[in-house]
Amino acid sequence: MVVLLLTIVVFSLIIAGCTAPVQDSLAADWRLTINGTTEKVLTMNDLRALPAVNGHGYCVSTTGFRFGPYTCKGVDLRDLAGVAGGVGEGRQVWVSAPDGYLWVFDADQLEGRGFVTFDENLKEIPSPPLRIILMYEQNGTPLSYDDGGPARIAIISEQPGVITEGSAWVKWVDRIEIRD
Amino acid sequence: MGGSDRDKGLRSVAIAILLAGSILLAGCAGTVPPSKTLKVIAAGSLLAPFAEAEQEFEASHPDIDVQIEGHGSIQVIRQVTDLGRTADVIAVADESLIPDLMYHPMKDSSRNYTDWYQPLSTNEMVIAYTNRSRYHDEINQENWYRILARPDVRLGFSNPMLDAAGYRSLMVLQLAEEEYSEPLLFETLVTDHFPSTITVSSGTGGTTISLPEIMRPSDEKVVIRDGSIYLLSLLSAGGIDYAIEYRSVAEGMNLSYVTLPPSIHLGSAEYADRYRDVTVILGFPRFATIGSERNGRPIVYAVTVPANAPNPDLALEFIGYIANESAKGRPGWPAPLPEGAVS
Repeated sequence: MVVLLLTIVVFSLIIAGCTAPVQDSLAADWRLTINGTTEKVLTMNDLRALPAVNGHGYCVSTTGFRFGPYTCKGVDLRDLAGVAGGVGEGRQVWVSAPDGYLWVFDADQLEGRGFVTFDENLKEIPSPPLRIILMYEQNGTPLSYDDGGPARIAIISEQPGVITEGSAWVKWVDRIEIRD
Repeated sequence: MGGSDRDKGLRSVAIAILLAGSILLAGCAGTVPPSKTLKVIAAGSLLAPFAEAEQEFEASHPDIDVQIEGHGSIQVIRQVTDLGRTADVIAVADESLIPDLMYHPMKDSSRNYTDWYQPLSTNEMVIAYTNRSRYHDEINQENWYRILARPDVRLGFSNPMLDAAGYRSLMVLQLAEEEYSEPLLFETLVTDHFPSTITVSSGTGGTTISLPEIMRPSDEKVVIRDGSIYLLSLLSAGGIDYAIEYRSVAEGMNLSYVTLPPSIHLGSAEYADRYRDVTVILGFPRFATIGSERNGRPIVYAVTVPANAPNPDLALEFIGYIANESAKGRPGWPAPLPEGAVS
């Protein structure tokens, strides 16, 4: 009986992905290039060593499909930009991924302003304070490849149930550029 | 291994329950579970008609589960080309995207993602409104652009960065400026309401509208949302008065709408040269594979089957069904292509 229980537990862990060798390898191989007034290349350990922020994230596609809600952990995009000289007045942050996807944030958005927000019924609501982070943990576990891991953009708030437009949630981020 | 009669009875009941459960799970109690899944990835403006087609196709093919997933048209194709997912049917709102993005070799293969497509239907841009919209009892095909230009009227369109209906809306307004000889129309309706510079330049190649990276209006005259469903929601709630939309979407949502002349509504092959005069350059190349330039052209929806589709025969059958139903001109569906328009 003990052997049977152990087998079931091990099998469940494997099914649940708790052994996570693939995620470990994803994170180990990942590099983030930040290009500002200087250029820096960060590893996942470097990213995790930066001040972490936590919050609630929830997004919706252009056709109304919702993803989340999640608890998100990552690094504020302003802190990341600070690694390579910071974001000056009127400058923008270009975030891209190896699949060819690119999204641009302006200084207002870095401060959490200018986003459209919805409730869980996709009714527009006034925006609570928001932060843009480069997320590496979702719901307490390392971000999986299918969810955009090892690191993706998330727009988070302290208040649960706030949905933001998903186009800005860049998956598989590997490059951040600060531009005029 | 013996036992009392009571134990035997309980065991028999348990076995009977297990058997019944197994039979139900196996689908032997009157319903046949689908044995095959047909994966369809389609443009957002096709989702409502395709949802109808899904029900009808499944009713006549009880062993098939049609699964439909919606994105913007470029993202539809990218699911297969850039993101490595498999799909049986690809359906987009701009036929030119298929040769541009799919007539290329697949990763680790000499075969192209596809070498053909079937034009399916067409559409046209309209001005959608409700009976809550300001001046709804005045607006018509002759005065629509003057109504939209009134200072207290709020206009919505989708984000040109994300939605073909968004950059097509800008093309319509630019074409209208020329059609009605109203040289300040685009400025009044669009440019004046963005803090970042939107430039409009004219030359021998036509008119080019260059957009900033961030499409965020500076006042409440213009509202931009990522997709048409959010615009329609605002329209219903009275958050905007008018939205530039596809005619099929307005019909499908039972909205009132003003039709536009064929010279500007982007739905007529006869005016292809005229439409080609307008180009929109997006603020940044959101997708590396396609760049940021969008040229005016007649709206033609198209479908294809990727070369690595798991169920190509079934996909062709579904496309045949969709094409046949499209040709009937069903309410809320993009309109049939005119005779002789199919290449």
